[in-house]
Amino acid sequence: MAKTILVVDDSASLRQVVKMALTGAGYNVLEAGDGQAALALLDGRTINMVVCDVNMPIMNGIEFVKAAKQLPAYKFLPILMLTTESQEEKKEQGKAAGAKAWMVKPFAPTQLVNAVSKLCT
Amino acid sequence: MPTLSEQAAAAEAAHTLVELCSGVLPVWARHLAASRAQSETAVSEMMQAFAALSPHLQSAQLQSQQITAALSPVDGTVIGLEQACAQALAPLRAYPDLPADGAAAIDAALALVRDAVHAIEQINRPFSHETEAVAAQVERMYIGFQYQDRISQMIALLESDMARLQDAVAGRAPDTPELQAWLAHLEDQYAMAEQRNNHHGGADSGADADNETTFF
Repeated sequence: MAKTILVVDDSASLRQVVKMALTGAGYNVLEAGDGQAALALLDGRTINMVVCDVNMPIMNGIEFVKAAKQLPAYKFLPILMLTTESQEEKKEQGKAAGAKAWMVKPFAPTQLVNAVSKLCT
Repeated sequence: MPTLSEQAAAAEAAHTLVELCSGVLPVWARHLAASRAQSETAVSEMMQAFAALSPHLQSAQLQSQQITAALSPVDGTVIGLEQACAQALAPLRAYPDLPADGAAAIDAALALVRDAVHAIEQINRPFSHETEAVAAQVERMYIGFQYQDRISQMIALLESDMARLQDAVAGRAPDTPELQAWLAHLEDQYAMAEQRNNHHGGADSGADADNETTFF
C-alpha cells in the first residue's frame, strides 16, 4: 500500500512540484497551505511523513513541528523541512523542534525522493 | 547656521520629497504585486501543463526499461537474447546424427534471431538514450519551477517593506525611522543567503549552493 506524505507549503506551485516528484515515486500526497491547515489534517488518519516549509503565514513550519510533536498519535512522525532557509541557526531551530531532516530549495526531485524513502520507513 | 530662507527651502524640498514618495511608492507596490501574481499564474499554468505531460514521459521511460529487460535474459543487453538462443540450441546443433537440413535450419533460425536482435537493438538504443535524456531535462524543469517561489518570496518582502516606508512617509509609523535600524529590520526578514548577499551589495551568487540534505 502506498505511503502518504503530507506536503505543507504556502506556495501552490511549490506544492505542485513536490507532489509531482512524490507521486511519480509512488507516494500518495496530501496538501496544506500553512501549519494550521496541516495540523487540522493530523486528525487520526494515517500519515507516514511530512514535508514542510518553514516561512509560512498563520503558523510557520517550526511552530507546526512543535505542535505536531505534542500529538501522541503523531509524536514519531518524521518531518523533513524543505525551505529556502539555509542558515545554521534556523536548522538548529528545526532540529530542536523535532524535525528529522533539512533540505534547501531548489531541490532535485531525486534528492527529495531519496530523503523521503530514507525517512519514511 | 542656515538662514531662514534656506531653512524654508529645505522644508519645502522635504515636503516635496514626502509627496513624491507618497505618490510613487503605492504605484511601485502595485506593479510589484502584479508582477508577482503574474509570475505565479504563469508558473502554475506551466506546472499544470507539465503535470499532464509527466505521466506520458514516465510511461515512455518505463516502456524503454521494459523493452530492454524483456530482451536481455543473459547479460543485460538486447544482444543477450541472441546468445541465449545460441546456447539453447547448441546441444541440438552439436548432435552427431543431426541431418544436414536440420543443422542448416538451426543456423538459419539463429541468423534470423541475430538480425532481428541487432535491428531491435538499433531501435532501442536511441530510444533508451532519449528517455534518459528526457528524464534529466525533467529533473532540470522541476528545479527551474522552484525559482518562482524564491522570486515570490523576495518580492513579497519588498512589498512589505515598501508598505512600511509608505507608513513612515505618511507619518503613520509609531517611531521616526532611522536608516540603520530600518536596514537591520529588513535584513532580519531574509530567508535566503542571496538576499543577505544582495543587501550588502555582494556579487550575485544566485541560488544557495547548500544542496545537501541535512539529517538530524
